Amino acid sequence: MLVNYTAAAHWPIDASRLDLVEEFRRKPRGPHGDELQKLLHRMRWSGDSEASGRYVLVVKEPGRRWALGRLPRMRGKPIEILSNQVFTSIAEAEWEVFKRRWEALTGTSLPPSFKEPMA
Amino acid sequence: MTDTTAVLGYAWPLIVSPGEPIAFHLSSKTLDGAEATLVRVRCADPDPNGPGLKLTELDCAINGPVALANQPIYPGSCAIIPDSPTLAKLGAFTVGAFLWPTLPGARPQTILSRWREDIKAGWRLGLDADGCLEFVLAAKGQSWRVASRLPLLTREWVLAGGAYDPATGRISVMVRSLDPQAGRDRSVVVEGEGPTSLSWPMDTPLVIAARAKDAGDAALCEAFYDGKIDRPRVYAAALSIDGLHRLCEAATPAAADPLLIAAWDFSQDIPTDQVRDLSAHRLHGVLRQMPTRAMTGVNWNGSSERWTEAPSQYGAIHFHSDDMADAGWAPTLHLTTPSAWRSGFYALRLRARQGNADPVESFVAFFVRAELGKPQSRLAFVASTGTFLAYANSALRLDQVHAEAMLEGLLTLSHDDLYLQEHRELGLSTYDTHNDGSGWSISTARRPILNTRPRGNVFNYGNDTHLLDWLEELGQSYDIITDDDIHRHGVQTLAPYACVITGSHPEYISREIWDAFDAYQQGGGRHMYLGGNGFYWRIAYHPTLPHTIEMRRGMSGLRTWEGEAGETALAFTGEPSCTWRSNGRPPQRLLGVGFDGQVFTESSFYRWLDGARDPSVAWLTEGVDLDAPLGDFGLRGNGAAGIEIDRVEPTLGSPPGLVWLATADRLGYGGTPTPEELRTLHRGIMGDQNAQVRADLAFFPTANGGAVFSTGSIAWVCALSHAGYRNNVSQVTGNVLRRFLDSTPL
Repeated sequence: MLVNYTAAAHWPIDASRLDLVEEFRRKPRGPHGDELQKLLHRMRWSGDSEASGRYVLVVKEPGRRWALGRLPRMRGKPIEILSNQVFTSIAEAEWEVFKRRWEALTGTSLPPSFKEPMA
Repeated sequence: MTDTTAVLGYAWPLIVSPGEPIAFHLSSKTLDGAEATLVRVRCADPDPNGPGLKLTELDCAINGPVALANQPIYPGSCAIIPDSPTLAKLGAFTVGAFLWPTLPGARPQTILSRWREDIKAGWRLGLDADGCLEFVLAAKGQSWRVASRLPLLTREWVLAGGAYDPATGRISVMVRSLDPQAGRDRSVVVEGEGPTSLSWPMDTPLVIAARAKDAGDAALCEAFYDGKIDRPRVYAAALSIDGLHRLCEAATPAAADPLLIAAWDFSQDIPTDQVRDLSAHRLHGVLRQMPTRAMTGVNWNGSSERWTEAPSQYGAIHFHSDDMADAGWAPTLHLTTPSAWRSGFYALRLRARQGNADPVESFVAFFVRAELGKPQSRLAFVASTGTFLAYANSALRLDQVHAEAMLEGLLTLSHDDLYLQEHRELGLSTYDTHNDGSGWSISTARRPILNTRPRGNVFNYGNDTHLLDWLEELGQSYDIITDDDIHRHGVQTLAPYACVITGSHPEYISREIWDAFDAYQQGGGRHMYLGGNGFYWRIAYHPTLPHTIEMRRGMSGLRTWEGEAGETALAFTGEPSCTWRSNGRPPQRLLGVGFDGQVFTESSFYRWLDGARDPSVAWLTEGVDLDAPLGDFGLRGNGAAGIEIDRVEPTLGSPPGLVWLATADRLGYGGTPTPEELRTLHRGIMGDQNAQVRADLAFFPTANGGAVFSTGSIAWVCALSHAGYRNNVSQVTGNVLRRFLDSTPL
């Protein structure tokens, strides 16, 4: 068998690299520098906890509105929709998920300046 | 949010000629009725940033309220051996087979049974909830059971059997590991107390890989097995494990042995749903839900990779508890398609709960083909029905770890995806793996297909309708023909047309379809290939069942699963599968370009090359500024060159007479080469450093005044509508179309 292991992405995240957070906030859709690419790969491969599943967007209105959701790892289990987290742009949603993943993976809170909406 | 799944259905047949009958098989778990309307599809993509959903309601006899009922789907493959007097009166007996289990310990499973679950009577050999082999006998509320002590190992061959001797009142279960070293040994014989006499239930089929819920040969089954079974046997005496091993090892046991009750040989009739018994009892059976055949057996030794060359080494069937080939729904609506209908993409629209927060709008798609030999236009567009089937109900984004990294951003899931996550009984696509991790190699249209219909996920079907939308905008007449028709009737399907367009992603191609395009091009036909990653995988259509394809993924190509060694030949035909490149036909030879990579970060534009400035192709570039970027816009990544892309490659057959018109070779770090492009491992392979990851625009003349124009990009057709259809992608496509429809030799 040819298997994509969830544990394969192991680039170590340095919680002090807030410059990468800033880079992502400025350009959520890229292009990104080498280190931010590695950080994003780590997050996108398996950055979300096994228990609560992968962050996804659920289309509320095609091309217009998306809700945040969580996709369980196990087939057949329903996708949870976080109805209070609705976005009108993909970039805005990417930034929200980036912040959640950063805090989960580093175990640190982002400084208040990053809590503000996108510039 | 629009509810696209409260009612689901499929059309059968999927493709009809005008005047032919079609039935719609519908089901709803929640609605008792809906409003049905027939529509012709111009654009199936609801994204308001593009043309938007464009459907024309048709006046049709079946329009109006339709009553709905819930029709369940019963996944899980098995073999049913109809009940017989021999089986009903078994005394002492042994059952056994070679097994290669793929999900031992996941849940109770059945290997061989003559059992009725409703009254819990009969006998069954299977795996218990822990994955241990168990043999159970039961009658009149009493049961006897023996089980092995260690769970079987995943993907390791064992001999497995159970024996019953009423004379001694003993039962036994037997396991012999065929590779017992290095910690793999699960060999054991466990004996226990059994009955001294027993009467079996009547009217009960013998089932391989499942057990019957109740009486009769049509009974539904449960406790399905995941994994391979090779050479199952039934013998009318209680054998030792050595005796069972000899019995199973003999490829052709002596049919005249009066104790031999059944010896199934799965290497016979591989393309069919029939299983053959070699014994004198002729206990032949039939398969349900299309398990995978032509699988390597316990004796496969690597001397051949094709079952046609060494059938005796392909005596295994891989059964899956989630195999699903036929939903088996009763028809809800019947329609004789009006003979005046134009060929096209059509759908039955079903609406309910209009005005609510979650209105229901669901579609059942079908295709009306131009009748063979009766073209209504000089242009044909090919509905890539082989590719639509290959991707039918793809759960790739739901199941595969790499999806978000590959797509370079958050997964955006539709209502259909939410439904598919919870309803795997619909059956998945050839991109997916079964629950046991093995690849899904068969796809059929006898089931609801969520991603081949308006409002569905746009990849393939939805993207292709952008081209239909553009043709309609142009006022250009066209016929629709389909892969299935080209496969069946060959070049006759293409020959009447001055020009044939294939869409955004004609990826899955049978030999018959390839030959038809080759003959069409060489016979003077003009082929516009407006896609990427086309003519890539080799598939077969089922020899008798319509709209049913098979493919095998080997160890080359951009594959979401990898088939097992020796299992790359197609069960339907015996042909090799995998990529056309590995079959000696790289797409570059037919199309001028061939798949080299993908890019999901951002699509790009093409820049014109010297070839485009040659006066001989002035017709192609008329009205186009050759110093300006071509296609620096579009709905798929803001460029016309992107998603999956192809390049000119003379070493793979791009013709010497090819004019290399333009290239998109600055794709940045998101440009990712396909694995078969890599000889060795080194860094520097991505598009920011690798000029071979690119999309090329190409033109070449063929014999007898024919020609090919290729764009090498999936994103191309989704750039056509930019700026009110007035843009250079639309201009170039229109220039080529006009010239290709002009019969003057090129």
